[in-house]
Amino acid sequence: MVKGYEAVIGLETHAELSTESKIYCDCKNQFGLEVNSQVCPICMGMPGTLPTLNEKVVDYAIKMGHALNCRINRICKQDRKNYFYPDLPKAYQISQADVPLCENGYVDILSEGEIRRIGITRIHIEEDAGKLLHSDKFDGASLVDLNRCGVPLIEIVSEPDLRSSSEAKIYLETLKSILKYLDICDCKMQEGSIRCDVNVSVHKPGEPLGTRTEMKNVNSFSAALRGIEYEINRQIEVLEAGGTITQETRRWDDVKGISVSMRSKEDAQDYRYFPEPDLLTIVVEQSRVDELKEQIPELPNAKLLRYVNEYNITLKEATFVSESVELAGLFDECMEKGSGAPKSYVSWIVGDLTKYLNETGSDVSDTKITADKLIELVEAIDKKTISNAGGKKVFAVLLKEDKAVRDIIDELGLSQVSDTEFLEKLADEVLASNEKSVSDFKNGKTNALGYLVGQCMKASKGKANPGMMRDIITKKLAEM
Amino acid sequence: MNEMNIDIKHIARLARLEISDDEFEMFESQMKDIVKMVEKLPDISDELKPDPNTPMILRKDEAKTDKFTRDELLKNAPSVKAGCLAVPKTVE
Amino acid sequence: MGLYEKSAAQLSTMLQNKEISSVELTKSVFERIEQTEESVCAYLTLDEENALAKAAEVDKKRMAGEKLSPIAGIPTAVKDNISTKGLRTTCASKMLENYVPPFDAFVMKKLRSADAVVTGKVNMDEFAMGSSTETSYFKKTKNPFDLNRIPGGSSGGSAAAVAAGEAVLALGSDTGGSIRQPASYCGVVGLKPTYGAVSRYGLVAFASSLDQIGPVARTVEDAAMLYSAICGHDSMDATSAFREYPDFASSLNGNVEGLRIGIPKEYFGEGVSDEVKAAVLDAVKELERLGASAKEISLESTDYALSSYYIISSAEASSNLARFDGVRYGFRAENSDGLVDMYEKTRSQGFGAEVKRRIMLGTFVLSSGFYDAYYKKAKLLQMRISAEFSKAFESVDVIVAPTVPTTAFKIGENTDDPLKMYATDICTVTVNIAGLPAISVPCVHDENRLPIGLQLISNKFTEDILLNTAYAYEKQTGGFVSPKL
Repeated sequence: MVKGYEAVIGLETHAELSTESKIYCDCKNQFGLEVNSQVCPICMGMPGTLPTLNEKVVDYAIKMGHALNCRINRICKQDRKNYFYPDLPKAYQISQADVPLCENGYVDILSEGEIRRIGITRIHIEEDAGKLLHSDKFDGASLVDLNRCGVPLIEIVSEPDLRSSSEAKIYLETLKSILKYLDICDCKMQEGSIRCDVNVSVHKPGEPLGTRTEMKNVNSFSAALRGIEYEINRQIEVLEAGGTITQETRRWDDVKGISVSMRSKEDAQDYRYFPEPDLLTIVVEQSRVDELKEQIPELPNAKLLRYVNEYNITLKEATFVSESVELAGLFDECMEKGSGAPKSYVSWIVGDLTKYLNETGSDVSDTKITADKLIELVEAIDKKTISNAGGKKVFAVLLKEDKAVRDIIDELGLSQVSDTEFLEKLADEVLASNEKSVSDFKNGKTNALGYLVGQCMKASKGKANPGMMRDIITKKLAEM
Repeated sequence: MNEMNIDIKHIARLARLEISDDEFEMFESQMKDIVKMVEKLPDISDELKPDPNTPMILRKDEAKTDKFTRDELLKNAPSVKAGCLAVPKTVE
Repeated sequence: MGLYEKSAAQLSTMLQNKEISSVELTKSVFERIEQTEESVCAYLTLDEENALAKAAEVDKKRMAGEKLSPIAGIPTAVKDNISTKGLRTTCASKMLENYVPPFDAFVMKKLRSADAVVTGKVNMDEFAMGSSTETSYFKKTKNPFDLNRIPGGSSGGSAAAVAAGEAVLALGSDTGGSIRQPASYCGVVGLKPTYGAVSRYGLVAFASSLDQIGPVARTVEDAAMLYSAICGHDSMDATSAFREYPDFASSLNGNVEGLRIGIPKEYFGEGVSDEVKAAVLDAVKELERLGASAKEISLESTDYALSSYYIISSAEASSNLARFDGVRYGFRAENSDGLVDMYEKTRSQGFGAEVKRRIMLGTFVLSSGFYDAYYKKAKLLQMRISAEFSKAFESVDVIVAPTVPTTAFKIGENTDDPLKMYATDICTVTVNIAGLPAISVPCVHDENRLPIGLQLISNKFTEDILLNTAYAYEKQTGGFVSPKL
């Protein structure tokens, strides 16, 4: 709360669905190809062309609806949203107005250690628009690339239940994680796979809600965070200066870090929604709705709870792992097939693996690590075949090379000696040649123990199992 | 609804039509006539719901490539630059 | 009698029997065009070269013994709002004066695979908005029976071309009567199929929920032949019905024994001329003589149909025509100051008055605060009208009505008064509102020798009944009479 004000935030999140073809035509749904190369008469709105709805889009939206605990409207329709812009070839966007495919749901987010339930007003399907390219070199023109026209979108509208920019960010991260789990969106932020519009108002607790503004062009989660913060502060400043907030649409400029008013009142938009006459009713059989529900995998929230309750790992670790479908997949497979402690697997996942992924900007699938190998590695450490330090060396290789753990241990010569007879003999030799340290120990200088163990390790060229070595030295000193 | 003012200018702006003064009066009187005709409609206030009796066959999610070349599709465009449609600069 | 005057059915037999070639027939039609087009003005674009090439190809196929469709080699004109790959498709608008579609409409694919010979593109009201073909940006088509009169519209070019012998068959489109009304005025047969029977893919949309492509011909059998060639499911049109269709032409037998006819009193009220009334009621008597029975019925919501029609069609049109913005195709105004100015100048200069009027009306009825009172109400009334027809078809098979309240008016007579012009659609729009099939078949001629049309309406997907009834009546009364040109 800033200066006694509470912020009320709602988000409209657009996620591009990763279907093969576009929503209303059979053009390829693919990012980053040559301008106007993934276009046909339908998605470029040529006269006489008609849309046909991609069934996958309906399936994916229903899956998201299930994941966000929504009611599924098995019988729904599509509507036209009319406005002129060069990136919108038909001059209307086919969307859904009064009857969305999914409505009335919620998602639980973990904000500052507390579970907060955020209402989901609705999820509807619609088509994306094209892109405008700007440059001073274009001779006073803007250029239009229509490749993105007709890329399928779901718009997820939240209730105004969010109270801070950080909460909004957690909500977005949660949605992203669910989309990844459902495998219905690439979630590539740099390609604009997820974008949002932000509604913000501020008021003093106990007082009526303030006037809200809508902010568009929020193209990353960090932009959402900054944009919301900026808008909250801007509104508070206006109110504190005795001004009033105008209901308006503002545009976030992430480079300048400011929002600017987009249109004035007299140019108010009137989208003239009406039912899309080129499409008939969407009727999804109840059996299909149920079938799609069964296809929903265990979602991050459920995983989180299971990890904490059953595996006794920390909330922080559990949150981190469960948020990522890839990390959670790796962990779950380790738990299913391996016999090591949950903690051992998690340590590698949140430790060395994550560090590597962050440094290289890669995904788990880009590395050579597999659950089977991680299990083998943990087993080797548990059996004391290698030390923890040796394990780190093995892991570094496992990330990049498709080799067996055993082979890497051999190649790097990391096998620890755990042969008691050998270790006892080594201990006897070291104790015999370090009489001074032995007597120091006897005289109460306990740190002499460490020195003696170190000497043993040195003599074994580091291959002696350090734990066992320490036990044997301690035992022998006590016997002397 | 009784005598009502139709904001012809506002409607023209929404429709992206430029209306000259002559046209303005013509449109206004003609629209009023049409509106009067329409106003004879009976009151009926049911909900307009999607009709489950007209279900739609959905399309399989299969992509086709090489359907049309870019040149074929842009051939009718009034202004093309670098494989793109060119429009008067939009305010960024 | 020139080849161009014969029916498609006769010509089809002659072609099959190799009495004539398609090239001869096509040449005959183009010679006729040469003679009469200057006065009729039916065509916007002639495609003689490709037509003759196609005719030669069809002749070659026939010589090789290939089994061909009944309309193979028959010269057919196409309304200029149906997309033809490589052939300009203007919608009779300045907006699309130079627009050449890169694809064929579904019906064009059907026509080409049936080996029809496409003669060219025919005139219409701009974007099919009008009832006289006077709103065409390019030219005014004349009624072949009286060159001072309109041919009707919006498929005026289709009806005039067929009546004048400038094509044997033609495709038109019907949103509120645009096939039936000109067919009636020009004394030819025009069928508006059930909504969903013919794919709209490639038909430049006027009102998506009402538009249907249909045949215009000189005889019922010819219309049935062309209809059989173009109907059928199309996966590219979500509103296209998924069903099988019979061969309509070969199932015509003229037997109307036991047929139940309904005469809706609302269609014979004020505004319908006595001559037209008498002609239609005489037609009912003819059908009764052939074994049909008739009774008066009531379709009470008919009064609201015209208003509902104008609201729904204009609303959809305002949205459908928004894409004409000077960006991807078509006309773009010069010397504009910025994007919005370019849009406004392009659309104001590119569209004619009638189109602008409908866009304005449609924009208005959808705009914030008016949607419920106009658009929503119209859609609810549409359901009521539809239900009323369904009820009526429980006790009758065919409803008989005038196609148009009067015969063709003079060019320029109604252009200043849109409401008077709209009123001519009163007998036809209900059919589109209810998604039903209807046919206009030539009746008698009035005292000025102008044709009067008889309209038959039947239940959804019962075009067979409709065509057979029209066929029976046509056989009884003689049908099409050539104009003196």
